Parts: sequence; structure tokens; C-alpha cells
Amino acid sequence: MASHNESIIREPLMTGKDITYAKITNDILLPVENKPNKAWWIGFTVSSLGALLWVVSISYTFWFGLGAWGLNKTVGWAWDITGFVWWVGIGHAGTLISAVLLIFRQNWRNSINRSAEAMTIFAVICAATYIVAHMGRPWLFYFTLPLPNQYGSLWVNWNSALMMDVFAISTYFSVSLLFWYTGLLPDIASIRDRATGLRRRIYSILSFGWTGSLKTWQRFETVSLILAGISTPLVLSVHTIVSFDFATSLVPGWHTTIFPPYFVAGAIFSGFAMVQTLLLVTRKVLGLENYITMFHVESMNKIILLTGSIVGVAYITEFFIAWYSGVEYEQYAFINRATGPYWWAYWSMMSCNVISPQLFWSKTLRTSIKFSWFLSIIVNIGMWFERFVIIVTSLHRDYIPSSWAMFYPTWVDVSVFIGSIGLFFTMFLLFVRVLPSVAIAEVKLLLKTSSEQAKKKLINENHLDPAEVEYYKESLTKFDSIDTADYEKV
Amino acid sequence: MDSNKKYWKGLEELNKTPEFVEKNKHEFAEPIPIEEVLSGGGLSSKTPRRDFLKALGFGVGAVTLAACQKVPVHKSIPYLIKPEEITPGVANYYSSTYDGSAILVKTREGRPIKVEGNPNDLLSKGGLSAQAQASVLELYDTSRIKDPQQNGGDSSWASVDAFVKSELAAIAASGKTISLVTSTIHSPSTQAVIADFILKYPTAKHVSYDAVSYTGIIKANQNSFGKAVLPHYNFDKADIIVSFAADFLGTWISSEEFTRQYVQNRNNKSLEAKKMSRHIQFESGMSLTGTNADVRIAIKPSEEGVALVNLYNALSGTTLPGSRKLTTANADKAIILVATELKAAKGKALVVCGSNDVATQVLVNAINSLLGSYGTTIDLDNPSRQYAGNDGEIVDFIAQAKSGQVGAVLFLDANPAYDYHSAAAVKDALKNVRLKVSFSDHADETTALCNIIAPNHHYLESWGDDSSIEGYYTIMQPTINPVNNTRQAEQSLLVWSDNAVKDYYTYVRNNWNNNLLAKGGLSGQAGWETLLQTGFVLTAPVAAGTYTFNLDLNAVAQTVLNQSAKLAEGNKVELQVYQSVAMRDGKRANNPWLQELPDPVSKVTWDNYAAMALEDIKKLGLEEFEVVTIEANGYTVSLPVLAQPGQAPGTVSVAVGYGRTAAGLVGNNVGKNAFPFLSFRNGTFQTTATANLKGTGDIFPLSQTQTHHSFEGRNVIREATFTEYKKDAAAGSGNDGEKEKMFDLWENTNEDHIHARPVYDWVMAIDLNACTGCGACIVACSAENNIPVVGKEEVGRRREMHWIRIDRYYSFEQNGGAKVDNRSGKVTQEKEIAKLEDFSNVSVVHQPMLCQHCDHAPCETVCPVLATVHSSEGLNQMAYNRCVGTRYCANNCPYKVRRFNWFNYWNDSRFDNYLNNEHTQLVLNPDVTTRFRGVMEKCSMCVQRIQAGKLQAKIEKRPLKDGEVKVACQQTCSANAIVFGNRNDPNSEVSKALKSERTYYVLEELNVKPGIGYQVKVRNTSSELQA
Repeated sequence: MASHNESIIREPLMTGKDITYAKITNDILLPVENKPNKAWWIGFTVSSLGALLWVVSISYTFWFGLGAWGLNKTVGWAWDITGFVWWVGIGHAGTLISAVLLIFRQNWRNSINRSAEAMTIFAVICAATYIVAHMGRPWLFYFTLPLPNQYGSLWVNWNSALMMDVFAISTYFSVSLLFWYTGLLPDIASIRDRATGLRRRIYSILSFGWTGSLKTWQRFETVSLILAGISTPLVLSVHTIVSFDFATSLVPGWHTTIFPPYFVAGAIFSGFAMVQTLLLVTRKVLGLENYITMFHVESMNKIILLTGSIVGVAYITEFFIAWYSGVEYEQYAFINRATGPYWWAYWSMMSCNVISPQLFWSKTLRTSIKFSWFLSIIVNIGMWFERFVIIVTSLHRDYIPSSWAMFYPTWVDVSVFIGSIGLFFTMFLLFVRVLPSVAIAEVKLLLKTSSEQAKKKLINENHLDPAEVEYYKESLTKFDSIDTADYEKV
Repeated sequence: MDSNKKYWKGLEELNKTPEFVEKNKHEFAEPIPIEEVLSGGGLSSKTPRRDFLKALGFGVGAVTLAACQKVPVHKSIPYLIKPEEITPGVANYYSSTYDGSAILVKTREGRPIKVEGNPNDLLSKGGLSAQAQASVLELYDTSRIKDPQQNGGDSSWASVDAFVKSELAAIAASGKTISLVTSTIHSPSTQAVIADFILKYPTAKHVSYDAVSYTGIIKANQNSFGKAVLPHYNFDKADIIVSFAADFLGTWISSEEFTRQYVQNRNNKSLEAKKMSRHIQFESGMSLTGTNADVRIAIKPSEEGVALVNLYNALSGTTLPGSRKLTTANADKAIILVATELKAAKGKALVVCGSNDVATQVLVNAINSLLGSYGTTIDLDNPSRQYAGNDGEIVDFIAQAKSGQVGAVLFLDANPAYDYHSAAAVKDALKNVRLKVSFSDHADETTALCNIIAPNHHYLESWGDDSSIEGYYTIMQPTINPVNNTRQAEQSLLVWSDNAVKDYYTYVRNNWNNNLLAKGGLSGQAGWETLLQTGFVLTAPVAAGTYTFNLDLNAVAQTVLNQSAKLAEGNKVELQVYQSVAMRDGKRANNPWLQELPDPVSKVTWDNYAAMALEDIKKLGLEEFEVVTIEANGYTVSLPVLAQPGQAPGTVSVAVGYGRTAAGLVGNNVGKNAFPFLSFRNGTFQTTATANLKGTGDIFPLSQTQTHHSFEGRNVIREATFTEYKKDAAAGSGNDGEKEKMFDLWENTNEDHIHARPVYDWVMAIDLNACTGCGACIVACSAENNIPVVGKEEVGRRREMHWIRIDRYYSFEQNGGAKVDNRSGKVTQEKEIAKLEDFSNVSVVHQPMLCQHCDHAPCETVCPVLATVHSSEGLNQMAYNRCVGTRYCANNCPYKVRRFNWFNYWNDSRFDNYLNNEHTQLVLNPDVTTRFRGVMEKCSMCVQRIQAGKLQAKIEKRPLKDGEVKVACQQTCSANAIVFGNRNDPNSEVSKALKSERTYYVLEELNVKPGIGYQVKVRNTSSELQA
């Protein structure tokens, strides 16, 4: 159906020769249906050791009390809330990709949304563990829920940003989980259809009796769109509310109206960086180069460049407002960030988040796999420092100089953080083994319209404007999964 | 009516089938497999489904029934025979005495839990020192000796008595001396017991010495005026106070009394009368008194004598032979100006000196005589008895013991093996003594050398009396039965001397009946009972006579100048040994409340250190907390360096009272002992020496509760000079006519609308000019509110739990390239201070900081679970049971007064040596819950006291009176710097105080509406002196 073909000047969203629907299924289900390879085992061993470290350090904290961490009377939050906000931020890319890009009909999302959503769910789990772990009496965490009780009018405090946080995070988690799982249904059905024995029974239950009928597909599309509609405001609301944890306080350096947009941009920034970190490896290890192409990598890098710049503007605005406000505490807080005892954290943040993403203006760099991966790590580090700077350097020197103090992490602080990364990767690695890491059904949609193969066929049909074809061919040079020699003769 | 109805259970029975008839012969219709079960086969037989269900049903039923038993209840057992005066839940107060001060002891259900000042006490009028506040904890110290000991093993009183008596008799018979070594005893009854003891054993001799001695002053007065007494000083009568290294607000003689007197001429009341004394301090190390001085001039110990000679010259107009100028021109000029001011204030001037050197004190006497201080600011006729030790006596005792002349020694409240400058000499000498008895209730350094330990009662278990000032007699009564198998030392002495009076209580009563009751116009049983209620008798003081010094000073000046020259010899540092405010002479080193009380100046806890000038530290290339070895008088010690602003360059100060090796679990090996630095010269112990100092490169971090020492020009601290104050009472307060004018976004933020406080509105006023920063309030608060002790390591992590703290800030006069800040006109910013060249010209301000009970409390809005809320009386309250410990409230508190329970301090083996055992926990105030780990806590404004006061008023059907409820910090403050009360009552003390033009609210610009008003710090500075 030629009328459904995409314009030739658009870059292909899927590469490879002789791709068929069956091949797509085979390729993507390769890790799910076969024994794991060595790379997976190495990764899984390392991650589970990390997860074990998390179990040990969290247990130690629960046993002895929060004094196991390096917090003190002045700095009441440090690595805990830094870790919490970092993970919530990372979780943001998933929803953005799955919901916002779906509504805007950005088809390139089809190849990456599954992993990004999974990442969101695991990141939010990591964040949630921090919420509970940072409490002095975690066994009473249910006090934060508005449960009916026998104490008369005892209720939760709706004025508290922490209270809003509980709702923001739990809503976000449930909606993300629902969205992710709904998208998984046709793919689980595919696995079911190819599996035998116990596997078949399990996947059969998990697929909720997916039949693949036209009506099912129609409903599937409707549900996806509705969920996308519900999720879209969440992209903005969750991190807005997380930023309220700071913005509604009166700590100099926290009490800032710019926080909501700045936090949302930062969250998308870090989320895309984490997607990059994960997918660049997954793509290689699981051989998904044809589905997650250079086009995807470059698109995500562009988003990183954009959000990184927004974050940079926010940093500078904060400084300007601190000066412009004329409030001495505010002014001191910002001067102290840049020149005080934690100057290194501030400048790590600035160089990782503001300066380094600017390198993506160069096409060579943003289409280099190795560099992209390296920079995604840098951005992740930078975003961790951003939260550290906001939390620790604001708290450690606030209003009354007598209480100024330094924060020094203990081994438990560090272990909980490293452990949470281990936990995240353990969950992610288990995910790629049992569920398709690319949305099979959605990628199949692209085969006839946006794949390299389809476009090549168009070229071969020879009805196209040669200038446009030339333009297209040139755009292919950056792809590492396309042999440009194939195009020399056409 | 008979019925012939027949009931049948089944057709089988009706029809009498053969099977039925057969079965009916047996008791059970179906055979029961008893045989099978008993033979063991039954266990392996299959259980039918029905049986299983039956067993299950029975099991569940039985377990359910069994579980219906009541949960064991831990009962508080009521009194079988209730003591008349004890009502559970209601505190009883008993008057007693601590160190010569009349006190009230609060007991609950028979156990003393808090010591409070007696409001009618002559010395501090209800104020109490940190030591007195902490003393109650020692009653419950688990390291107290529990039984009498003989040769290191537990013994009984009978065998100890028999042994000691036979030994004493033998020694007395051999003609050898029996020495009773004590620190100063100012109890008339104890003195009488000792006198009786000496009567019985004529070879007995009372050796009285104090670890920190005032022999110099006593001998100087003997020398100058023929009166070997420690005078009673009247700081309240002095308009000009010049102190040469006398820390009279911190540790010198009677610091609580002096604080009360001193503040009288500096507090709000005095200021409103346009009157403020001027206080000039010359000293080497920064003392608590130095921090309060209007003008403080740093001089080396070697310059003290020279300065005094120069001052004498300037006052008398003569020139003593050998007079020379001071090395610093600044100090030299200051002496001349001080002399002019002193002369102008003749009769209202006071010069005091902390030296224990006789010649130096004679010179001071001469100066005071010139100023007409005798009879006005110095009273020699109603002398102080607080210190009467004679340094020579202990030195003689050791010499005699060494030579074998001493047959027996009894140590009462004396620990020479620790606090004598040569412990080796003590050890050596005691080897030649046959009987060595210690009355110490702790195994200390000296008891280790004794063969008998006859453990004394704690003073809260004792009868007794005290007389700290001539004519002032206080009574001591027990508030609890002895906790251990101890016996009062006086009782032991009575027993050993076969006194006619068998028990010490009778002895005390006799003494009072015969001698003391009459002094207060009391007599008989009624008089005694009155005494036990009032706590003291006071005779009308003798009129203080004027004394004139008219001896030749040439020789004295010569001695002083020679000693000074000797101290300054060589290119060495001058070492000054001082008492720290918290630890003093180290007798209470096993008290965790005192160990954790931050030093008022350095804010260091749990350690002593080498305080040095910043210039010296830079010059010697030392780092912060670098361990240095200090060698002086043949003794070497390694201590971490502390950079102390105001320390005279070329000097190092080290506190005594640390480095105990046998104090108990808490006090052992905390810091290093500095007593060996003392030396005995001209009949007294000298506290200065020349020392060699060397860095070691090791770092030993000190645990400070405050690590940033400048207030960064922020208006949390507001100050003015007295000159400015006289022109405008609101000077420096920021109240320029638009006092407390606030703008709000919300129309109806009418306070009454938001927080109705219909009856009470509890607020506080703190006078920064009255607060000396001593820290007694911190200990009082810990005792009242069950505040855990966390130890050195946790304090180092900035996790001390104190609900009230005293912030201490340094600011400097401009010099070098440093910029002053606009508001205070001083160098207050960290980075500007770094540019200073001279750090000696420093001003200090102390600011008590506690929960401000804000009306718009930022902590309340951020708590997700409403664990901290506002009361209808203006209090910010904590519901511990609701707290989940997110710590958001602490983060959002601009005053940083909230404290988090990082660990389970009351039940965690790592905090064992503090308060964490059942016995020590008897000191807890039952009206205040202890907090579990993970819970936030903070100042409650002693809400339990407010409740108790309100209840009392309600029972008596009357409104609560102003001043009836006193919070713990306010109550113990000798300076009366803290006023607490109801703002709704316009006539309350606090309302009046808050109306003062000097009142400001810390961080009021945040519109959190704090409930504590501070009054501007006013300094009576002198521009000439400072220049």
C-alpha cells in the first residue's frame, strides 16, 4: 500500500535486510526463549551482588537505627533523598516516551518504549524503598496513608509536600505499571503461542486470554490512548510534587518557585540518559541493532541536549534570582554552593549537566555510540550531584551559623545507594530474560512503512525524486547497522 | 402422670435387629482402637479425614480458649502502708545544701530526680551551677562502691571498724601522725566531728588542701591585713571590674553568686536605669569571664605581674623598683587608661586576680586598698569559707609520710593521687604509711593506694550542714535511703573515735541545737522543723570594715617581677593551666551530663585540649586538632590543638579535670591530666609555667557542638554599645518605630483567628546582656527532660541531643585587609576573618537557642503525619507516638533546634556507659517520656511543669499566678537571663520584658512569629581602651 509509505526523506526507524514479521518476533524473543549468554550472567552476578549489598545495608540500618547513616542535626536528608529524587527522575523518561510521544505520534518511540517503561517501574521501586528506608520508624510507614483510625480526628497533613509525595509516587507507579502491562499483552500472547508446557501455562495466564482479534486490537489501541492521556499530566505532576518537598520549605536554596519546571526538565534529562545507558548495552548484547537504531540514539541525544540546556538555564536563573531578591540568606546559599566547602559537588554538577551535554551539538559525537554511552553516564552522575547540591549544600549552612555542619557519608549511605543500583539492574536483567525488551507488536507496525527495507523498495521502484533519494542515502551514513555499500549501485 | 411413651433412636432400635442388639451390648457402638494405639500401631495407622477435622476443630478450639487468658500485666505495686507525705505522681521537695548553696531536691516516689536552687539562697537566689544540677545523676552512678572494702576485697562495716580502730589505737600509741587529708570542709558539724576525732587521737592532724587552690589569696590577706581569709566579694557594688585572669563567672571561688551580682549592673533593669558596669579583663586564655568583658586585653601570664605593678604605679603615682613596660604597647596604654577609670570610680571599683601567687595577691590587695574597695566591694569581715585549703599542708604531709612519720592517713573528698602535681610522690609517700583509708564513694586514683575504703554516702543520702559564707548556715538532709551499703564519712569518724554521740544525725542536731539554730532565732524541735523547711539560717552580717594596706611593696614587686621575668625566659611558650567550666577540678569526671556539656567558650565536649592563638598555629604550621606535645615542669602530655580567638600569642592554655584514669566508666581516659603542670613555689601551687611545644602531625578530632564561630553579619545577633543605648534605647535592635509591622498575603491572618489562645500564650524573653553563657541551663534541661547523653563520637557527628544550646559567636575589630560588615561594624564573616592579622581583639556573644515555639511554625506544616502541632496555649508540641521520623521538620526549622533520635539511646549497648542501665535510669523524670529511636524531639517549654502548675491552680480554684511555673532553664539561671510566662497577661514579667525597646526576634523577617524575644546585647566598650 504505497499510500501508507512514509516520505523518503525521513530516516528509517528499523534497519536490516529481509526483515519479516516472523524475523522480528524471532529476533526480539531470542533472549526470552533461549538460555542466557555469558554477558547476561556476568551482568546478573554483579547486579545481584549489588542487590545483596542493598539488603545488608538496609538491614543494618533497620537494626541499629538511622544513626548508621551520616546524617546529623543540621543535615537531616542527604544521600537518602538524593537517591530518592534521582531514581524518581530517572523514572520520568518512561512515561514521557510511552505517553507523550504516543500522543504526538512519534513512531520512533515504538522500539524503545518497552524498556523505558520497565526502567520507570524499577526506578520508582528503588525510589520508594528510599522513602520507607529514610524514615526513623519505617515500620509505621502506614501512618502516612489516610487510613481510618480510632484516634478521632487524627488524619494526615495534606499541607505537607511529603504527603503529596506519597500520593504522587503511588499514583505514578500504578499508572506506569498498568500502562506497561497493557502494552505487554499482545507480546506475552506471542510468547505464549510459541511456548510449550509450564511456560505456556504461565504466559497464558499473564496474557489475560489475548486472542488477537480485530476487536481486541481495537480495544487495545483505545486503552493505550486513554492511559497515555492519564499518564501525560503525571509526567509534569510527579516531579513537580517532588520539587515541592523543597520548594514549599523555607530553607534558602530550596524555597524557589522555579523548582517545578526545573525538576521536570531535569527528570526527563536524567531519564533519557538512563535509557541511553541501558539501551546502548541491551542493543549490543541482545543483538537488537536493527530495532534500536542510530536514529533512536541520536533522537534521544537531542532530547538530552535540549533538557540539559533547560536545566542549565534554570541553574543560572536561580543565581540571578538569589542576587535579585536581595535576601542575604538566599545569596549566601548560592555563593556557598559555588565557593563553599561543597564547591566540588556544585562544579561536578555544572560540568556534567550543563557543559558536557553541549557537546551533542556536534553530529559526530551524538551519533557515536561509545561517546553517547559515556555521556549518558556523565549525565547520570551530574544529576545525582544536582540533587546532592540542592539537598546537602542548602541544608548544611542555612540561617543560624552556629548550627552549620558538614555531612560525611558512612559506608551504609554508600552501600544503600550502590545497592539500589544493583537492585535496579537485577530487576532489569530479569526483565529482559522473561519479557520482550522491545514492543514486538508495535515495532511490527513500522515494518511496512518506516523500515529501511520498505524504503529501499521504494527507491528501487524508482518513482522518487532523485534529490530526495540522495538526501536519504546521505542520512543513512551515520547508521552503524546499515551497510552503505548496498546503496552505491542504486 | 406417667408417660408410657417410648423414644427410639432409629429404626434398628425400634425393630431390635440382631445387629443392633449385638452392638448395644458394648459401651461404644463402634470399637475404639485403644489396644492399637497403646500397642504403638495406632500411631502409624491412617487418620481418617473426619478424625483429622475433629482433631483440628478441637485443637483450634482449645488453643483459642487457652489464648483467652489475660496478657500478663506488669503492675506498679502500690504502697502497702503509704508514707504520709508521698502521693504517687506528686513530687516532694526537700531543702538541702550543695556546696554551701541552699537547694531544693525534687523527689518522686521516694527517689531524688532533680536538684533545684532554693529561691532564698544567699549566694545565687535560686540559681544553680551545672555541677549542682548534674550532681543528682551521681547518686545513681553504677560505678559507685557498693560495700566497704579491705585490701581490695569487699568487707563488712564491722570488720572494717574493728580493723581501723585497732590500727588507729596502735598508731596513736606509737606516736605516729594520723593525717586526715581533706579538701576544704565548710560544714560546721563535719569540722566538729574532725575536732572530736583529733581530741581522741592527739597525734591526728587535719590536712586541708584544694586541687585548685586559693591559698595565695588567703596568705596574702594574712600578710596584708592579718586575716587569713578568703574575702567575700561584692561584684554588684562595683561600677568598674578589672580582672586579671580571674574567671569569676565561670570557676573562680563562687561563680554562681558572682554571676548573680555581676548581672545586676548589666541586665535590662539596670540598663533602663541607665546604669551599666564596665568590666575589663586581662588574661591569656579566653575564659567565660573574658567572653563577657566589655574590654578584654590578651596578655601573657608573664605580663600579669608586670601589668599589676604598672597599675599600682599608675594608681599610686609612685614607681615600684624594677617596673618595666609591657611588651605590647596596647596593653601598656590600657593599664594607664584603666587606672584613670578605676580612680574615678573609687569605692565602686574592684580588682581581682586569678593568680595563686602570694606576692601577686599582695599587690592586688594594695591596689584594692588604694581604690577603697575594702568595706565596699570586698568584705573581709564576713569571709567566704568556700576554699580554705593550704597548699603547704599537703606538701608537708607528703614529706612527712615519705619520711615515715605518718602512721595513718584518711582521705575525705581528696584525691591527691590524681590532682597533686606529682602523683609519683604521693604513691611513694603512701608506701610508708601503715593505714590508708579512703572515704571515696568511687574507686579513684587514691583509693587504689589505700587498704581500707569506707565509702561515703552521696550528699543526697546524708545528713549534714554547710557554711559557705560567715553567718550563713545551710542544712543538708537525706532524700533517699542509702542506695548502697555505704556509710557517711562523719559517721565512720564518730565510730572510729568512739564518740559519745553514736550517730551523725544526732550529732548534727546537737550541734544545731547548741550552736547554730539560735543564730537564726530558732530553737527546739519547732526550730529544727522550720530549718528543715527553710533550709538555712542567716545571721545579720557584720559591717564590713575598711582596711588599708600600708606595707612596703618593694620586695613584693621584686618577687612578682622576677617571677614574671623567669616565666618569659627563653623562646618558649607560656603555659597556663585553668579550670574548665564543665569539669572544674575533675572530681565529677564520671558524670556524663558534665562531660557532654560543651565548654562555654570552645564548645568542645568530652576532652581537654591545648588552646592556642591562631597566629601561633599559623606560625608553627600546625593544623586544626593536630596533636602537640607540651613539656613543662618535667611533665609531657600530648593534646590536640584548638585555635582559640583571643588567646594571647605565645601562650597555651590547658584545662585540668581531665585525664582521670580511675573515675569510672564515663570519665576514664577522657582528655589528659594537666595537674602535673602545677608547681609548688613560695608556699603555693602555681598554675603557670614555661613549656616546650612540638607538633606531632597526628590529628585527634575534638567533638564540638558548634564548628562555625562567626555570625556572618546576620541579624540573628544584634548588639549596641552602652553609649548608643543611652542615646536610643532601641539602638541596634532594628526596632525603628515600625516594630513588628508585618505584611501578609492573606487578608484575615488575624492572629486570634488563626490560633486562638484564649487563656495562656506561653512565651519567653532572653536577655543577651544577662546571659553569661555558662551552660547550667543545658544540664538543667537534660535532667528535667530526660535528654540522652550520646558520647564523644556522636557529638563529633553533630548529633548531640540538647534541647537548649548556647550559640557563641566571635567577631573582631577591623585590622589587616578585612572588611567590616555594615550592621555590626565588626569583622564577622568567615572569609574576612581569614584576612585578619590580629585575632586578639575579639568580642564574644552568647545566645541561648531553643525551640522558638513559632506561631507560624514551619515545622508544623511540613510534617506529613501531623506529629508536631500547635497548642491552644501557643506551644509547638511533639506527639512522639505519631512521629515516623522523616526529619522534614528539622530541615525546615530555621533555628535548627530539633533533635532526632538516631539510635535507641535508652536501650543500645553502645551507649552503656552513659545512662543506659536500669539503675541509672531511676534518675529519669517520670513526667517526661523517653523517646524511642527514629523520633524527633525538641524543647517543650517544660510542658509538664506548665501542666502541673495549671492543675495546682485548678485544685486551689484560682488563676495561675505569674512566675508560678518556671521552666528548668530559667530556674537554674543565676543571671535570670531567661523569663518565661504568659503573654496574655499584660502584667506578667515576660510581657514587660518583651515590651523593652531592646527586644528583637531572631529571624523575625521570615514571619514565622517566634515566641522567644531576645534583648540586644549591650557592651560598655571604651573606644580608647580598644584602640
